[in-house]
Order: sequence, then C-alpha cells, then structure tokens
Amino acid sequence: MQKSSFSTPPRRVALFVTCMADMLYPGVGIAATELLERQGIEVVFPMEQTCCGQPAFNAGYRDEARVLARRFLQVFGPMVENGSVQAIVAPSGSCVTMTSHFYDVLFEDSKEQPLRQLAQRLASVTFELTEFLVDVLGVTDTHARLEGTVTYHPCCHLLRELGVDEQPRKLLAAVDGAQVVELPDAVDCCGFGGLFAVKNAGISGAMGRRKADNLARSGADVVAMCDVSCMTHINGILSREKIDCRAVHIAEILNGQLGSRLHPPEEEPPMTLERPRRWQDATAADAAAKGEKGGD
Amino acid sequence: MPARDDILNRLRTALRQPELRFPPPETHRLTADDRMTVGTAEGDRWALARRFGAELETLHGTFEIVETLAEARMAAIGRLQMWVAEELAGRRTERPEQPGDRDILIWSPDALPIDGLTPALSDLEFRVIEPQNLHDPDERERVRYARAGITGVDAAFAATGTVVLGAGPHKSRAASLTPFRHLLLVPISRIFPTAEAWMAKMRQDGTLTDFLRESRNVALVSGPSKSADLEGILTMGVHGPKILHAVIFDDIEAMIRG
Amino acid sequence: MAVINLEAPFKERVANALGDSHLAPAVVRATDRMLQARHKAMNSIDGEGLRTQTRQMKEDVLRHLPDYLEQLERNFQANGIVVHWARDGVEAGEIVRGIGLQNGAKTVVKSKSMATEEIHLNHVLEQAGLKVVETDLGEYIIQLAGEPPSHIVAPVIHKRLEEIAEIFHEKLDMPRTMDPTEITSAARVRLRNEFFGAQMGVSGCNFAIAETGTICIVTNEGNGRMVSSMPKVYVVVMGIEKVVPTVEDALLQLQALTRSSTGQQMTVYCSMTSGPRQPDQPDGPEQVHVVLMDNGRLQMLERGYGEALLCVRCGACLNVCPVYQEIGGHAYGSTYNGPIGAVISPALAPEIARFKELPHATTLCGACRDVCPVKIDLPRLLVDLRSDLVEAKTNPRVEQLAIQGYVKAMSSREMYERGGKFASVASNLLAGLTGGEIKWMPPPLNGWTDHRDFPPFAKKSFREWWEERQKLRNRE
Ligand code: SF4
Repeated sequence: MQKSSFSTPPRRVALFVTCMADMLYPGVGIAATELLERQGIEVVFPMEQTCCGQPAFNAGYRDEARVLARRFLQVFGPMVENGSVQAIVAPSGSCVTMTSHFYDVLFEDSKEQPLRQLAQRLASVTFELTEFLVDVLGVTDTHARLEGTVTYHPCCHLLRELGVDEQPRKLLAAVDGAQVVELPDAVDCCGFGGLFAVKNAGISGAMGRRKADNLARSGADVVAMCDVSCMTHINGILSREKIDCRAVHIAEILNGQLGSRLHPPEEEPPMTLERPRRWQDATAADAAAKGEKGGD
Repeated sequence: MPARDDILNRLRTALRQPELRFPPPETHRLTADDRMTVGTAEGDRWALARRFGAELETLHGTFEIVETLAEARMAAIGRLQMWVAEELAGRRTERPEQPGDRDILIWSPDALPIDGLTPALSDLEFRVIEPQNLHDPDERERVRYARAGITGVDAAFAATGTVVLGAGPHKSRAASLTPFRHLLLVPISRIFPTAEAWMAKMRQDGTLTDFLRESRNVALVSGPSKSADLEGILTMGVHGPKILHAVIFDDIEAMIRG
Repeated sequence: MAVINLEAPFKERVANALGDSHLAPAVVRATDRMLQARHKAMNSIDGEGLRTQTRQMKEDVLRHLPDYLEQLERNFQANGIVVHWARDGVEAGEIVRGIGLQNGAKTVVKSKSMATEEIHLNHVLEQAGLKVVETDLGEYIIQLAGEPPSHIVAPVIHKRLEEIAEIFHEKLDMPRTMDPTEITSAARVRLRNEFFGAQMGVSGCNFAIAETGTICIVTNEGNGRMVSSMPKVYVVVMGIEKVVPTVEDALLQLQALTRSSTGQQMTVYCSMTSGPRQPDQPDGPEQVHVVLMDNGRLQMLERGYGEALLCVRCGACLNVCPVYQEIGGHAYGSTYNGPIGAVISPALAPEIARFKELPHATTLCGACRDVCPVKIDLPRLLVDLRSDLVEAKTNPRVEQLAIQGYVKAMSSREMYERGGKFASVASNLLAGLTGGEIKWMPPPLNGWTDHRDFPPFAKKSFREWWEERQKLRNRE
C-alpha cells in the first residue's frame, strides 16, 4: 500500500488503540498517546472504535469480518476524509496490517469498490506507532530511560506485511541506559497466530517455548515488541516456564514507563495531566541536563 | 472424450473465466533483452579456466591446467595410473585386483579433444572400452565394473564449475556416469563464463535446440555425485562418480598453429 | 522411533510428532542448514531479480498453458517420445503399469518424484507384481523403513543416523555402522545391481521444455541420470504445470530451484532427455514415455488457487516454516507438507475438507512467502482456503457461533464496553484464584492455558482513562 508523504507534517491524528490494548493493556494506549502528544501532536480518540475484525478474517469468516471492517471505515473514514485528522496511528503492526492490507482483500468484489477505495485511502495515512514516529515525524530519540538489558522481537505482520523493522530498532537503540542485545532467531514467529494459539495449541506452545528459550539465551530482562497480541502469548509462556524475562510493548519503554505487566502495580493508571511516573521524571531531568526543552 | 482433449478443453475454459483469481489476464513473456545472467565470471581464457577449476574444487572435484595437447595427454595418462595405484594401495592384500580395475570407459576418438589416448593406455595394460551398445548383455556386464571413465565436454561454465555432456554416437553416457572416477578433458575454447553465455552463443548460431534434440540426452554436471541425506552429512559418490578430475588445456594455441 | 500413522486423526499425528523429542531437533538442524545455504546462494547474486523473472516466466506459462502443452506434446512426439494424458492418479497409475507389463518389466528403478508419490505409483506397480526400487539415497532409506517422505527434497530429514544405521542393519543384514561413507557405499553397491538389472526407469520431471520436447530432472546423486539412461524403458510422470517455453526458461528455473532448495549454484546433475536413443548411440532408453497428468491441478486453478501452480517444489517454504520445524512432514498426513502442502493438499483434493486442518495449522507469519523463488503468496492462499472452508460449512458449529458472538459484541460501543467490563470482572476473579495470572480457562480456551498463562483484563480500560482525562481537561 502506498503511504502518503505529507507536505505539511500532520498535527492531529486519530488513535486506533485496538481492542486488546484498550481492555488488557491500557498502559500501552496511554504511552502511545503521551508519546504522540509530546511531539506536539493532538490525539483524537474516537470512542466508537472497537476491533478491526482480524480474528474473523483470519479464521475465514469474511462476511463477519466485513461487518467490523465497515464499522472501522465508518468510524475513521469521515474524520480522515474531511481532514479533521491527517493520520490514523495504532500501536499494533498486526491491526494496521488488517486495516491497510486485508480490508483490500475483503472488499475485492466488484460491488464493493467504493469501500475498497475508501479503505485504500485510509491505508495510505494509517501507521503503526513507531513507523509514524520515525518515518513521518522524524523522531529518532524519545528521551526515554531504562535500566537493563533489552532485546527486540519483530512481530510477523509488522516485519513482513508492513516492512517495519528499522524504525522500532532505531528508537530502542536511543533509549538511555538500556543495553540492547540481539535475540537469536529473532525473525522466527513466536507461535501466537490468533486462533491458531487455541486451535493448534500444542504447536503454538512449542513455538512459544522455542522463542522463550531464545529470549533466555539473549540474556535480556525485557523484550520489546510492537503488538500486544504476541506479547500476551510470549508473556504467558515466559511466566509458565518461569523464565526471567518479560515482554513489553515498545511504547511503554519509549514513553519511559515500563508496562504495568512487568511489575504489576496495585494502583490504577494515572489520571492526572502530568505524568508522575519515575521514568517520566528521569526523562525530564535528562532532557534538562542535555539543555533541551523537556517533554511538552 | 479422451483425457487429452478433456484436460485441454477444461483448461481453456477455466482460463477464459474473467473472474479467475489467477493467473492475471495479461502476463509478460521474458525476452532475450530482459533476461538476467544469474552468476558471473570475467577475464581472459586463462582467468576463466582458473575460475572453472576453482569452482570445481569447491564442488569437491580437482583440476589441473596445462598448456598443450601433449601435456594434456600426459596429464590424463598420469592421472589414470595414479588412480589405479591409489586404488590398489587402499585395498586389503588378499584381493589385490578386482574386475574393472584397469577398465576404462571412453568416448570414441572422434569425439575426444585429444588423440592417441587409447593406444597409449592400451600399452600401459589398461583395457579401454568404447561402449557400442549397452543393451547388449555382455557389453553391459563389461561396462558395469569399469572403475574409470574419460570424456570430453561440449561446453563448460566457469561461474559454476559445470560441464555440458551431450550424448551421441561416439559419446557414451555411461563413461561419465557409472565409473567411480571420471576424467574430464576440457579444452579452453569450450569454457564459457556462464551458462547464459553459452546458450546465447548457441542460440545465435542456431544450434541450441538441435543440440538438445539430436543428442537425445544432455547432462549438465557440476562436480562429483553427492548426497546430504544422512543427517545432512556430505557423502560422495552415491551413484555417479565419486572422484572427478578435469584436465584443462589450451587448444586455442593449437588451433592457431593449425 | 515415533510411529508414523498417516491415517490417524490430525490432532493425534501432531501430538505424536510433538511427543517425539528427537524429531524437532533433527528437522531444525537440517532445515536451518538448507536455509542458510539458500540465503548465501540468493544473496550472492541478484536474488530478487531471479525470483521476479522466474515468477514472470511461470505466470506466462500458466496463462498460456494449453498452447505450451500442445507445443510440448508435438515436440515430444517429433522426438519419438510416446505421450499419454491422465486426468487423475488412477489413470496415470494404469498407464505406467500398462507400459511396465507390456514390456515385461520385473524391476522398476525410480528417481525421487513427488508426482509419483501423489498417485501412490509404487503401490500400483507392486500390486501388479513389479518390484519397485527407490534410488535416491534418502528415498531408498524410507522405502526400506516403509514410510512416506517427510520433505519435498530431503525425504529422510526426520531420521537420525542411528535410526538409519539400524534400518540398514535390519533390512539389508549389514553390520551395524554409523559411518555415513560406509552406509553410502553399501547403498551404491546394492542400487547398482538394480540399475543394471531393471527393465524400466521411472522419474518425475522438474521441468519440460516445450520448444525442444525435453524432460529435465535434477539430482545430486546421479540416480536421475541412471534411471533415464540405463533401463530400456523410461517413463516420466509429470504434472501439466511443469512445462517451460524455452531452453533459457529452463535454465532460469533450474537456477531458481537449486539456489533456493539446497543453496547450490547448480545441482550436480541436470539430466535433459529429448527422446529415446538414436540407433547409433551406445546407450540410453529405447522407449521414452511421458504421462501428462492433471490429478487435481485444473481444479486447483478453477478454485482460485492457480498461484500455487507456479511452485517449483524447492522446499524452501518448508525449511523456513516454524510449524514444519516443530512437527516435521508426516504430521501433515498428505503427500505435500509444509506451507505449500497446507495449500495444495486441500486444493488438489476432490473435497477441500479432506485436509481441512492444514490451512489452520499455520500462524500466517509469512516467512514462506519471503523465501519462495516464485513469490507465491502462501499466507494469502491459506486465508483464502480458510474462507472457502467456512463457505463449505466444514468448521465446528461452536466456532461459528463464537465468531458471530464476537462480531456482534464488537459491533456496538455499548456491547463492547459492557463486554469489556464483564471480562474484566470475570478474568480478575479467575486470576485472583491462581495468584495474578490466569492459569486455567474452560474449553475451548483451555488450549491457551494448557501451554501459557493469560493476564486478567485491566480494571480500568484505556477508554475509561481517556474519558476521565477528557473530563479533567474540560474542567481546566
Ligand atoms: S511454494 Fe515456493 S518455496 Fe514452497 S516449495 Fe513451492 S516454490 Fe519452493
């Protein structure tokens, strides 16, 4: 899908948080929001959004998937078409693949051409978070800090369908204090695969354990990735196998706040406008030390 | 309806369907201008000879480069004597000689790039066999145990260490296939940088398709026979030759001198 | 040694494979080796260009397949090759058996061929009283073991040397040896007898050249040359998609195939047969027969899976597939396995439901598409098959209900939010029982918790955070 090249940098974007991040990992959505806002982007969150429909599409239920695809296009279409937002950003390579590539398949039928074209127009301005930060905003350093060893797992859709790999790696490399190590056989699929994880649980588990072994071998404390679905699977395996490594969404690292899943806090996500987390403080102090203007 | 017409008709019908998902309605036929050359090899004839040899070596073959036909003849004979000696040395004493040890399958002199090999080898007590008809039971039996084969080549590709062996009236397939050891006589004039270069030349000369059809069998051979079927461990000489040696020689000088 | 029972249900085959602790390491080692060689061979040249051109060539062939087939047939016949056509495996088997019986063949030597595996030719010939000998070393081993191949190009990939040594000891009465060279020379001696004694040779066909009427088979061991040169009768079974227009196209496909299969620049042998020997030629077959076989290929095209007919059977997609690496080939229960097998097994079968599990036995990770020398979009074909399976109503009813329920819940904001709240309460309850992470879920979700934990839903969703923040902001 041809991505739009912006003549003037986008100022307002719609956040497609994805249903899984919304309900399971609000911290990822918060981190994404804050990362964007810190770049001076105004973030809009359409409350009508739900799920992109990928589970139905992948399982072969195209009629059902089309219902959710239409809904997505209804929610996000007008705001892009009337120019009230210049881009759609999602903290998930997989969901962006769905809306940007697989909607095209869903609306292949000659009768569906208007929707297909709408989907294509949206696809040209839809970005995975790190792709947006690096390619569109030109950000290479989010001034985050993380004490520890980090590795990166490229999730399959992000890597192979969107071709996004350099971007998250670049951002991760800039994280202060983090020692970035290579993950052996990094490009191997973790074994999640949506319904596959349940339908072919045995194979999925075996693949996950292979990934977990490689994580253990890498010596990383945390493994960053750009999809909460694979992250859930990998964490589930790591926890079951009692391997001392945690999967986190990259946004949480880049925003200087490690995910609540790493050290589950009892308190709920912060509700104030300032960001009181210790990572945030470190970032601000850091930026000040470098003589830059902090955060917002 | 006979199977043939059934299949072709159904195929045509399917391909006419406008909503067929694949193949696309318009496809592009590669032209001579589009075609890429996959590997490359460069330099003068000596460079190509060395490259051919080097590639053959990575394929577990061996080679030597000599300058004249006479030297090539000597090299070939020397190599065959060495092979017999090697074979006998490596064997348990109670069975010093076996049928076939001194049997050599060979292309007819007409097809070989070096003359005088058969008499020279016969003088050295080799039994030189020029296969005539392998479906003859006696001949089949004789051919079966020959330990070495000598052939020329129709062409060789420097980039991949490949030789082209066309079958023909004087060019037995067995000579390059059934023996344990295969000696290749490679005139430098037959070495092309790549397979693509050879094909382009043949195509230009109008001989490519006839060469394939009239030979009835053309083998591209790149190194000795091998397998990795046993746990990925490389083993040599599974069915074809285990040892492949190329004597590369300069026939261009000879051609110039007449 | 794990028991190989292709008739067992899919779940059982997979469980057997996963339960064999030697299998995955053996498969991983072998496939990784081939894959690394493949990367080296592709990266040392314009690999992308090679893939693009090979695909272009094959697409053009498929678009004009009837014409190329007719040209091929004409040239075969002009060269003295007898051409047979077979609609399906039964017809093809009968043709080959007929040729064998007519020529009084007793022993048949075979060079590894997936097309003949597809039609169970060995069984057909053996039923007719012929002795069939597989001559590819790997294929010979599994024939001795009584197993089907588990990989398109490396049939015995699943066996360790110890097991192979045991088979040779048991079946050939050979002293036990773990020395690969000794095993190889034992096979050489035995198979040499067969090559010289057999009346008929049978092979598949890697590609056939339309403009010259030439059959090409590639091997590393030389058995392809033997089978096509030593017996009096040589029979080729080829799928109708194997035709290429010109000699140059054959070279192109040869290079794409060998580079992506084993990472060789050229295979050791490419044997190109354009007919029976000429009267004055010392060796070669006296009869050459070609069976042009459909056996589901047309139907595959009609069903919309024509792209899979571009496949050159290099095996790269198997080598890179993490699922194949875990379970090996036999668990697929079909002639073709790995990603391409998951596509063509159902697409070739009269009923796609025959192999309905296979399109689901993949994560759609896409690694296969990236190594395929003809860039077949395997993940796309797999989701298309899943959709066809839904349309054929072969999926469990409960799955359909679950998907419909999920779509319904996701179709309105109210239901979505209410569902989220409910999931949050329920999952936190469940997690509370097992201390933080959910370690058990009821069927069918137990598939998840059998292997991994699941986190409870957040107590406060992102959207709740957002709304509260908006309120806070508005107050300012
Ligand atoms: S689908 Fe592609 S990668 Fe797989 S065997 Fe066929 S040609 Fe090779």
